[in-house]
Amino acid sequence: MTTLVLTLRESLRYRGAIGQWSWLLHRLSGLGVVLFIVLHVVDTSWAVFYPPLYEEAIKTYQSPLFTLGEFALVASVVYHAFNGLRVAFFDYRPQLWRHQGRAAVGVLLLSGLLLTPVFVLMFGHVLDFYNEEAFVLPLEEVIRAQLPFLGGFALAGIAALLLAGLHSLVAGRGSQTALSASSERFWWLYMRISGVLILPLVFGHLGMMHVVQGVFDISAAEHLAVGASEGQVGANATGTAVEFVHDRWSTFIGPLAIWRLYDFALLVLVVIHGFNGLRGVLWDYLHHPLAKRAALYLCLIAALVLLALGGGALVIGIDEAAIDEASRALCEIRQTHGATLEELVELGCEEFGETS
Amino acid sequence: MDIRFRIRRYNPEDEAKARPYWQEYELKEVQPTDRVLELLHRIKWEQDGTLTFRRSCSAGICGSDAMRINGVNRLACKLLIRDVGSSVQVEPILGLPVLKDLVVDMEPFFAHYRRVMPYLVNEEAVPEDGRERLQTPAARSVYDDSTNCILCAACTTACPSFWANGEYYGPAAIVQAHRFLFDDRDRAEEERLAVLGEGDGVWRCRTVFNCTSACPRNIEVTRAIGEVKMAIRKGSPEGVIRPFSHEKH
Ligand code: HEM
Ligand code: HEM
Ligand code: FES
Repeated sequence: MTTLVLTLRESLRYRGAIGQWSWLLHRLSGLGVVLFIVLHVVDTSWAVFYPPLYEEAIKTYQSPLFTLGEFALVASVVYHAFNGLRVAFFDYRPQLWRHQGRAAVGVLLLSGLLLTPVFVLMFGHVLDFYNEEAFVLPLEEVIRAQLPFLGGFALAGIAALLLAGLHSLVAGRGSQTALSASSERFWWLYMRISGVLILPLVFGHLGMMHVVQGVFDISAAEHLAVGASEGQVGANATGTAVEFVHDRWSTFIGPLAIWRLYDFALLVLVVIHGFNGLRGVLWDYLHHPLAKRAALYLCLIAALVLLALGGGALVIGIDEAAIDEASRALCEIRQTHGATLEELVELGCEEFGETS
Repeated sequence: MDIRFRIRRYNPEDEAKARPYWQEYELKEVQPTDRVLELLHRIKWEQDGTLTFRRSCSAGICGSDAMRINGVNRLACKLLIRDVGSSVQVEPILGLPVLKDLVVDMEPFFAHYRRVMPYLVNEEAVPEDGRERLQTPAARSVYDDSTNCILCAACTTACPSFWANGEYYGPAAIVQAHRFLFDDRDRAEEERLAVLGEGDGVWRCRTVFNCTSACPRNIEVTRAIGEVKMAIRKGSPEGVIRPFSHEKH
């Protein structure tokens, strides 16, 4: 513990050159996005497995807290992506190291350059939303909706500790936790190759969800889901987030459900990249073999759960019944937050108006 | 000119000083061309004989007096006061156990050094004339830069990966490995690459470049680590470095 505190403090106190700050930002942005991806993949899978929860999740994404987080998230992804390219470039061209400082400044400038118009456009979507009569979930509910995740983290942590303890028992006291030299080499390469592949995919994904349209349009009625085909699926009739995802996933180019394939590639690449990155960070700061083993199991469990939930959702897909269910859930959310009869009728929730 | 020193003190044998603390000293009539080491001597000789630090050659060769000066690792004997300004903060280097004041236990550092086999391995028969194993200037140029290392630990203790985890071999050990790995007379490349490719070896490097800026001998440290990574990826040091490409301009 003392070394952890010392390390973190001195990582800020040491007056290194810009490379040190790039490293710190790269690490923090990577960890931030890992946290988000856990929430995000689990939430997205509800669109298939438990549609009412997905409607609630998207409502939380549309609350001010998440809107702030959204700007931070986009900035993190952009910075991490460009800096990742810089790191990988100098790994392959170490003799050009003299330019690394300039490259680090370049990464900051390029990120700023890209983020400026993106933030302007994103802010435009926010303004549009609040200019109309926006429905906003109260903060307590937004936070309450995230609480199950804390339970999930705790569970995953306990499971990881148990597995690590069991492993240590079987392997014997004093056994070391380490990957073989060839695995270390593989993961080093994987981080670089996957990074390069993730970049266009995640930029495209964020471009669709934040720039071309806003997060608020995910549940906009009569709005054609971004990337969906008007001819194949039509606009989002129910105004549910579940239908939005359905429309995208049911859009085909030839025989290919392109957005499903796209999401699948993104899912696999990002989850493995993110959790191997997390393992590397945890292994920097944990020394006891048991702790290292627990960290490894934690990353493994988290990655497997996300791949199973996210992959399962993509394979199973969304049917009409799910959209109906979501539609009813949406009405319920609005009703419990005091929508008037008129508003409910406008939302197509007549039956809810009558019962209240 | 007058200079104010702020020095990190620690003495486990004295209860009052067993918690690290800062102590300040004032020095008068300092010349801009004085070196920090000389001023530490003046403090020790004129003001406070208990101040403890290592030094030997006073000429940037022995590598004893690496310390953190105004936040970054430097050799006290190579650093002129005009390059640090009028207030100087001195601390021990990071990541190694502090024994007393500015003196750290270098043993973990040297253990990593020994691990990479820092010596030429060649069991082949000596050349027919019974004299040296010849090497072309081109082949020598490939590792010339890494022969400059004086093992002062400034690079290793500037590395956030090393602070976090002292099991990491650290930049200095890797530079030393580089010096023999890329020597075409050496025959231990497989063993050396295997050691360096382990979990606590080169992969812990996150290309932060703190080591490169800390090196008092201007060794291209991060580059050397990068070249070792390339050699591990290829399975051999051959062809990784172009001859003469290390020459400084
Ligand atoms: C957008 C394209 C991306 C690129 C080009 C990229 C590139 C990289 C590279 C090259 C590394 C290795 C850094 C090193 O060893 O010094 C890395 C580390 C990491 N990445 Fe990414 N990455 C990308 C996206 C992501 C995403 C989406 C996440 C989160 C899910 C993520 C999380 C991490 C983490 C946690 C680390 C470990 C950081 C550390 O060791 O300090 N990355 N990334
Ligand atoms: C707040 C920002 C984001 C929003 C609003 C958003 C929105 C969505 C939506 C609506 C879906 C449903 C599938 C679809 O329509 O294609 C989805 C899926 C997905 N998103 Fe995002 N996204 C965001 C950020 C990110 C980021 C930063 C990443 C990667 C690092 C990411 C990775 C994924 C993945 C992997 C899936 C597929 C999940 C599954 O298989 O169930 N998203 N996203
Ligand atoms: S005293 Fe020998 S290197 Fe400084």
